[in-house]
Amino acid sequence: MTTASALTRLLKPVSPLAADMSIADVADRLLTPELKAFLSLPIVDSAGRPLGLVSRTTLQDIFMQRFGRDLRGRHAVQEVMNAAPLVVSLDTSLEDAAKQITGQLQYPITEDFILVDAQGLYRGLGTVLDLLKAMEARIAQRNLVLRKALVELKESQAQLVQSEKMASLGQMVAGVAHELNTPLGYVKNNVQLLRELSAPLFELAEAQAALGDCLNDPTCDEARLAMALEVAAEARTKAAPELLLEDFTQLFSDTLYGLEQIAELVVGLKDFARLDRAMSEEVDLNECIRSALVIARNGIKDKAETILQLGELPRIPCAPSQINQVLLNLLNNAAQAIDGFGQILVKTWADDSAVCISVQDSGRGMPPEVLARIFDPFFTTKPVGQGTGLGLSISYKIIQDHGGQIRAASEPGRGTRFLIRLPRPQALPLQRSA
Amino acid sequence: MSEPIRILFVDDEERILRSLALQFRREYEVLTESDPRCALERLKNERVQIIVSDQRMPQMSGAELLAQAREIAPDTLRILLTGYSDLDAAVEALNRGGIFRYLTKPWDQQEMAFTLRQAAQIAARQLQAPKVSAVTPQAALNVLLLDEDASTLDVVAEFCVAGGHRLLRAASLSDAVMLLNSQPIDLLVSDLQVAGEDTAPLLKSLAQAHPRLLSLVVTPFCDTQALLKLINEAQIFRYLPKPIRRGLFDKGLLAAAEQAQIWRAQPAQVVTRLAQQPREERDREKVGSLLGMLGRLRERLIA
Repeated sequence: MTTASALTRLLKPVSPLAADMSIADVADRLLTPELKAFLSLPIVDSAGRPLGLVSRTTLQDIFMQRFGRDLRGRHAVQEVMNAAPLVVSLDTSLEDAAKQITGQLQYPITEDFILVDAQGLYRGLGTVLDLLKAMEARIAQRNLVLRKALVELKESQAQLVQSEKMASLGQMVAGVAHELNTPLGYVKNNVQLLRELSAPLFELAEAQAALGDCLNDPTCDEARLAMALEVAAEARTKAAPELLLEDFTQLFSDTLYGLEQIAELVVGLKDFARLDRAMSEEVDLNECIRSALVIARNGIKDKAETILQLGELPRIPCAPSQINQVLLNLLNNAAQAIDGFGQILVKTWADDSAVCISVQDSGRGMPPEVLARIFDPFFTTKPVGQGTGLGLSISYKIIQDHGGQIRAASEPGRGTRFLIRLPRPQALPLQRSA
Repeated sequence: MSEPIRILFVDDEERILRSLALQFRREYEVLTESDPRCALERLKNERVQIIVSDQRMPQMSGAELLAQAREIAPDTLRILLTGYSDLDAAVEALNRGGIFRYLTKPWDQQEMAFTLRQAAQIAARQLQAPKVSAVTPQAALNVLLLDEDASTLDVVAEFCVAGGHRLLRAASLSDAVMLLNSQPIDLLVSDLQVAGEDTAPLLKSLAQAHPRLLSLVVTPFCDTQALLKLINEAQIFRYLPKPIRRGLFDKGLLAAAEQAQIWRAQPAQVVTRLAQQPREERDREKVGSLLGMLGRLRERLIA
């Protein structure tokens, strides 16, 4: 056992004294160099069981008295020994031994402690200093392990935060990719239709060009001209350009609209990620809300109607990509909290000291015991595998890092409202005119 | 005189509707609705043969719309057209909406035209076919189980006892092919993996060789792409995720039995199942070789 060997390592195999050894001889023994490190010497009975300890100070006290050595030098040492010494069993753990020793030890420290085996037989001495050193080493080792654990914990926490970020990013990218499919669908189809529909127009143009050539050609005979006229008339009927105009106009305008839609989504993605600038001086939070909504739209549109009441906001310094992450998280949560079709109300306003964003849904709401835990890491009400339980705790951290506050109020059956306050850089004192 | 085929497109994006209408107005009578609730109203008053619906719409999901459309007008061929690959939506659209195809946006013009032509052909045959009488005799059916799962066996065995059907079991693909060649099978209940083999090619082959055989897939796998192929290329009747939910499974089996009995009783009844050729080369080859193995069955069907 490792704990037993810990005490064994402290053991000093000092030869014990017999109970009838004279005090003078003990004193001489104590003066030998190899026993210099010990405060006391052990005394055992004939069976090897410890009887007591005689300390250096006891003998010094005797010898400092006038005629001390002469009067008492011949007495047996057991008369002056401490008959209730510290006896520690070798199979005690280091911690328990330390507890036992510090519990029984008295000031000033004048003795060592006796180490006995399982049968209670004397095996050696241990010194308090060695015990302290062993404890010190043990604690240092513990600290090392703890520090390593702390580092690992921090790393895995950073990894989790990163994976939550990647998960929400992945969700977002998938959502936007899907969102792109609608405009892509009709844009692609429209372009193909335009190609098909324009083919007879080219034929018409060709027939009319041939007719023009005929008319300009003095050598052209009646028969050829009649033929060209007929072909041109046929092509005209077939192409029916007057009927196509409306379709073409519609197809082109829809296609352009679709391309703008696609461009908007791509710009939205770029604005949203804003990987190029971490911290920005002048951010309009209304813009953040709009770009988060572009991204969140696909998750929201079949769950809720979004109502925006955006007030005029001063620009504030913040990390827009982080704020966007918070907003997307709140919007997605809001949509997911709604059964059937509901409403999400997003409001912004500014007061003297802060810019405020409120995201309110008409969803299920939460009971107080859930509400109390929503910002806790790993707390989630979603089924296993959906949601890391980190979304809101990361949002909390982001807002906190910005010096702001995020709070939630909820009522089961009525919905939930999140309120974010981000401080304005230098809240100017109100100019009150006298 | 043939009635023109009417197709109803439903999508909350009007531009999709305009684009589709322009593409198909020459061949079909095209109707469009951007609100699924209006589409349902329309179905109550007008005859429509084919419905093509988007999945994500503010008022109602496409799967829900198609499920309700099936109630109102069971003869319609229902197609889901969506930009989102969403497993739950696909499962719902199949199990409740009994969809003919699951198509994705952006769609391929040719493929869409081809799919609608197939649907229109079935619809045209349906229009000419005599109406089915509501009463169908309770014929005993042959049910083939291709799944080693004990819980599946429990449900299917109980269903067979209750309905007086015959239960056949196969432990491998080759066993199944042998049974399919030796006797007429009405219902097939199969996992997607049996004895380490993929059963999808068999399901796809059966949809071509034996369009009246109804397949119910019970599986722990949930892969949207695989399901889409099973819908389009194997025309499966139900997709039931494992662990099995008893009520859903029972309902599916009963619905399949009812359909099979209608077909048995009315040989002239138009079969509205028509599978698409597998798109991937490898799938096509596997299905082709299985079709060869099912050859005898086909011959018997033709005879």
